[in-house]
Amino acid sequence: MKLIDRYVTEVGRRLPLFRGRKDIENELRSTLEDMLEDRAKKVGRASDEAMETELLREYGAPEGVASSYNPMPYLIGPRMFPFFMMVLKIAVSVLTVVLLVLLGVQISTQSPMTGMEFAKAIGEGLLGIVSAAIAAFGNIVLVFAILERFVPASEFKLGEQKEWDPLSLKKEPEPEEIKPWEPIFAIVLTFIAISIFNFNPQLIGFYSFSGDAWVVIPALTDAFFRWLPLINISWVAEIILNGLLLRSGRWGTQTRLFSMAIKVLQIVIGYFLLTGPNIFALTPDSLKAIQGLDVELPQILGTIFQQAGRGIIALIMFIEGIDLVKTGYRLITQRR
Amino acid sequence: MTNTESLENVVLELRRGVIVLAALSQLGTEQYGYSLLKQLADLGLEVDQGTLYPLLRRLEAQGLLESVWKIEESRPRRYYVISSEGRKILPKLKKEWTGIVATMSRMLA
Repeated sequence: MKLIDRYVTEVGRRLPLFRGRKDIENELRSTLEDMLEDRAKKVGRASDEAMETELLREYGAPEGVASSYNPMPYLIGPRMFPFFMMVLKIAVSVLTVVLLVLLGVQISTQSPMTGMEFAKAIGEGLLGIVSAAIAAFGNIVLVFAILERFVPASEFKLGEQKEWDPLSLKKEPEPEEIKPWEPIFAIVLTFIAISIFNFNPQLIGFYSFSGDAWVVIPALTDAFFRWLPLINISWVAEIILNGLLLRSGRWGTQTRLFSMAIKVLQIVIGYFLLTGPNIFALTPDSLKAIQGLDVELPQILGTIFQQAGRGIIALIMFIEGIDLVKTGYRLITQRR
Repeated sequence: MTNTESLENVVLELRRGVIVLAALSQLGTEQYGYSLLKQLADLGLEVDQGTLYPLLRRLEAQGLLESVWKIEESRPRRYYVISSEGRKILPKLKKEWTGIVATMSRMLA
């Protein structure tokens, strides 16, 4: 077998089977033989292997020659890519939300859990989300790679045909409109908070490793849990509010009034938590139970936790207050 | 990337843009790939074979060229010739090219 034949076979191996491979091979062989003949005529002697080698070296590596015939060196091309990205974002977002909700349900139904069990459940849940996202990504890529090769370009123009109107830039986004992920995210977070505070309150605490096991010093006193039913009411109200927002997709008079009522309730709860019996169990005395701590450290940490806890409640009340004013203002301006 | 490489890339892009017109203009009579390559080179347009052959196939797929296999000198060769569709668009391409040359000449004067 001549070098040219081997070269042509090497190029052919890298060409798509059903896109004229044989044809390209024949044409390439014919061209190379023409070129070789030309060279032999120029030097006035018959072609030999050295001449063949020189020619093939100049023609280039088989990979490069084959790739010049490949019209589609990509998996998903430019015409499909925007639609691919849109489908991917939607699929991964929906998958993540669904799995987070399932994780919340699992945690709340398996209570009471130890710290390790809780960490394990969270870890496994997050791992499941990552695995599912990767699997979804792979499947979507596969589907689009197939579409790319078998759907004619004329049947897949997506939004290209729509005539774009520059006047659409004049339309300002309405403040009443909300993005769907916002209420979904709020619902998931509220759901997780309800499941932890009601079903696994032992998880809220100061963790320290003592000897061969984790020791948890509770962060909240019984005084806090006496307010929990009222806090639960505000959280359930939050879930209902976000459900309404998710359904309507925009703020309205009723949802704004409902939101203001919830904020008032939360500010009142905050006030009682701040002015009533101490709700923070992490004190200099309770922290002394941790073995191996420096003598002064419990005193310092306990004071920090007490002050920080109160500070956080005050900050939340302040933010809720500002939100209350903003919501009231929007309610008034919306009605004009 | 060095200045020389940048220059080479730009020159390559410029040449690539005119190969379609050059090939169509020379395929009024049928030619096989290598003879076309040599003819273009003789006229001053050096084209890489890795560019020309896939381009000929693409133009055929677009209906602007036709091809047929013939056996000559004991060797099969694929001959290309401009199709009726190609003949229709060639004058338009020439006009477009003349316009581009005139515009660029004004710009570069």
